[in-house]
Amino acid sequence: MTDRAAFLDRIRSEMARARGVGGAAQRGELAPRPARPREIAETLRRELAERWRETLEKFRVEFERVAGVYHGVASVDDVPDVIGAIARERDSRRAIAWHPAALGVDWRSALSTHGLTTVAMPAAGVESAVERQALRDLIAAADIGVTGVDLAVAETGSLVLRSGSGRPRSTSLLPPYHVAVFDRHALVESLAQAGIFLEAWHEVSSEGREDASGRGGVINFITGPSRTADIELTLTRGVHGPKEVHAIFVEGGLGG
Amino acid sequence: MVTCLGDLFYPEVGVRIVRLLRRLGVTVDFPAGQTCCGLPLFNSGYHAEAAEVARRTLPLFRDSQHVVVPSGSCAWMVKHEYPGLMKDSPLRAEAERLASRTYELSQFLVSVLGKTRFSSAVAGRVTYHDSCHLRRGLGESESPRTLLRNLQGAEFVELPASDECCGFGGSFAVRLPEVSSSIVDRKLANVEAAGAACLVACDAGCLMQMGGRLRRRNSPIRAMHLAEVLEADVG
Amino acid sequence: MTELTTPFRQRAAAALDDAFLRQALTIATTKFIDLRREAFDEFPEGEALRDRARAIKEATLQRLDHYLGQLIDNIERRGGHVHYADTAADARRIILDIARRTGARLAVKSKSMATEEIELNEALLEAGVTPVETDLGEYIIQLAHEKPSHIIAPAIHKTKGQVAELFAKELKREVAADPEELTRIARVELRDKFLAADLGITGANFAVADTGTVVLVTNEGNGRMVTSLPRVHVAVMGVEKVIPSMSDLVVFLAILAKSATGQKLSSYTTLVQGPRRAGELEGAEEFHLVLLDNGRVKQIGGTLREALACLRCGACLNVCPVYRQIGGHAYGYTYPGPIGILLTAMLHGGEAVTDLAHASSLCGACLDACPVRIDIPRMLIELRNENVEHEVAPRGERLVFRLFARLLTRPRLFRLAASLGRLAQRPFTRGGAIRGLPGLFGEWTRTRDLPPVARQTFTERWASLEREA
Repeated sequence: MTDRAAFLDRIRSEMARARGVGGAAQRGELAPRPARPREIAETLRRELAERWRETLEKFRVEFERVAGVYHGVASVDDVPDVIGAIARERDSRRAIAWHPAALGVDWRSALSTHGLTTVAMPAAGVESAVERQALRDLIAAADIGVTGVDLAVAETGSLVLRSGSGRPRSTSLLPPYHVAVFDRHALVESLAQAGIFLEAWHEVSSEGREDASGRGGVINFITGPSRTADIELTLTRGVHGPKEVHAIFVEGGLGG
Repeated sequence: MVTCLGDLFYPEVGVRIVRLLRRLGVTVDFPAGQTCCGLPLFNSGYHAEAAEVARRTLPLFRDSQHVVVPSGSCAWMVKHEYPGLMKDSPLRAEAERLASRTYELSQFLVSVLGKTRFSSAVAGRVTYHDSCHLRRGLGESESPRTLLRNLQGAEFVELPASDECCGFGGSFAVRLPEVSSSIVDRKLANVEAAGAACLVACDAGCLMQMGGRLRRRNSPIRAMHLAEVLEADVG
Repeated sequence: MTELTTPFRQRAAAALDDAFLRQALTIATTKFIDLRREAFDEFPEGEALRDRARAIKEATLQRLDHYLGQLIDNIERRGGHVHYADTAADARRIILDIARRTGARLAVKSKSMATEEIELNEALLEAGVTPVETDLGEYIIQLAHEKPSHIIAPAIHKTKGQVAELFAKELKREVAADPEELTRIARVELRDKFLAADLGITGANFAVADTGTVVLVTNEGNGRMVTSLPRVHVAVMGVEKVIPSMSDLVVFLAILAKSATGQKLSSYTTLVQGPRRAGELEGAEEFHLVLLDNGRVKQIGGTLREALACLRCGACLNVCPVYRQIGGHAYGYTYPGPIGILLTAMLHGGEAVTDLAHASSLCGACLDACPVRIDIPRMLIELRNENVEHEVAPRGERLVFRLFARLLTRPRLFRLAASLGRLAQRPFTRGGAIRGLPGLFGEWTRTRDLPPVARQTFTERWASLEREA
């Protein structure tokens, strides 16, 4: 079997052949990259804070275009009412949620007044296989998954969620109804800006280290519910992932 | 440049073009010794042979100020592929020069002569098929439309999916005749939907394909070259 | 006539006789065309982004070893493993080894043309690992024991009735021919598999070198399931899919889904970075990336280099007049449509496409639609040229064309041929049109009239035309 050196060597010799033959007709050019993405992302955040209303409106339009259900509330205390209403309309009793540390707030008792039993995801991994299985069964049986949002991309109506401690992937994936709660700090206007944040999140410090604390192995751009048109091009939702995505915007901010 | 199909099968188109251009004040010459631009050879992969044909063809037009071609595909061959075929040949500069002086008919009328309004040789509705080499190869979809929209005495209607291939593709039409025929049937369904009595194109290959199928189906719709529809310049 | 009738032509003719297939293809491809057009109509930056995307692919190819090296380093830094497959057989062996070592019995697969290409499923089955396709379209064709017929909509050729029958047979109960119901059934059936599987297998739409990220573009959620729930995740990826940075990634994301389905983004764009991290509840414990050559590397300096930019979006299939008539199966290989012909040549050599290279009228619609502007017609012509020069094209054909070439370089012979044609056509000409010709020309006249060679060619008329002036 081939190893790295042999594999790359062969590629190098083919590349040399390309240069000899006069190679490509086209000029190559990579996308420009921000030199200090974290700084730029900070600056961007500050600028966007000034026009968050426009960005929010654009987000709402695009989010609804991809069949997202948008809700706006004034304060973080209003959120359980909205989730409660969503649950009631769908006859849902069981919810799972990111760990309160990840959400920045704990709505569990408020939600229980709406008849919704909410289990918070653990702050870290779960060691025992038995516990893990039990948790998995619980997640698989939940109706609603409540998460936060790292970025809300207005151009495409997308929610960007990073996995990590207390914010497992399944919360926004297994239950049929995904409810994502965010505030103005998550808003970005475009994919290009989201790209700056992706760069920033991976920026390597001067010591050559990437800040990966609490961070998980996956970043998801979620644009509407799960869908397919594989059967006679008829669109259906909720194939493997959620059949509905709700976004609750909290004007007063999430605090955390 | 009359083109092989034009010379053999549609000489009337060439005759009308010569007369039309003369009436517009253009001195028209027909350099002797023309056969074909070599596109059929090129497209089937016979590049050495296509280069031979190009080498023979280039000097014929050495003294021509403009070269007008009734087929978009042949114009494309000269403008797009001749320079490449001649890239290692002393005729390379000549090929570039010819490329820059070659025009498909509608391009010549509209962009070079600035003539856009003609009386129509046919009455009723006319529609237009965008041949692939003219539209995608040469980026030309406006000049024919300008001429057809401004036709005095005929009504132009857009053809749905006008830029979909007619299925000619040169030897494709006889290598995969079943597929070629299905493709042209789809094209003709759109032509019928457009409700036009006359289907205009700027390429002999397309006309052969669409016209041939229309005739076989005993259709009253006539496939005509642009030159057969333009009667006289009305300024 | 047998020399004219190739196996491809026969398969194409058979596909043309399938009325449902043609209807399904017309509806689906027309819909995709409209969706793509609408998406780009409202996206004026799109044209410039396409150029930029192509430039990124080119710049990457020019330093491919460097970026692959970077990708490998970063994946390993995150605790993942990288494997090197020169051939499809190598790739299968690598994956089977991983499956055996990890004791995998059930594998769930997210849609991956690369795994189709290496024919992985059969090998897994033989090794005692059950592969389950989880993309709904792939699941359907897996049940039907068929290959995908479109790069992104694999079951486009199946009616809902046929799907219902397949599900009924699999589940041993009655199933309604209703897409909603069928989707719901798939959700339930496959959910169990996701939760029980030991091994998750995916492809990769991109891999970002400087962060060791594998990117999956999906709509159903199966990509997320497959990379989060099973213990082991194996991603199979052609070497040409690597891109340098996240900034490059977002350029491609902006145009990929729009080209494929008209969506701004697919429902899920999943960036996977190695196995699960400390403190994470879910995610694979082991992450493996299998880098696949299988004919790609040779093209870095080859005729088909441009085809390495392909994003596997399927836009070229949707606009191809040939694909739209015959569908994917008639092509006979893993990848159908315009890009499929080039990929088949890449994977199996120029001799594999002696007839497929002619499955094109060279209309250029594919080039128009391709998000990275791959000049497919040019490369098809190159393949045809190579087959002529390597004498792979049939001898009879080469004789005819060379004769033809001789006519075209000798005007007197050309004129003579015209006169002979005029004579020869007489018995076949009726009412000003030619029908019922023998031989090669019969391929035309079976369905179309031919105009006769004119009584006087233009050349013959020129003398009098000149005098008119």
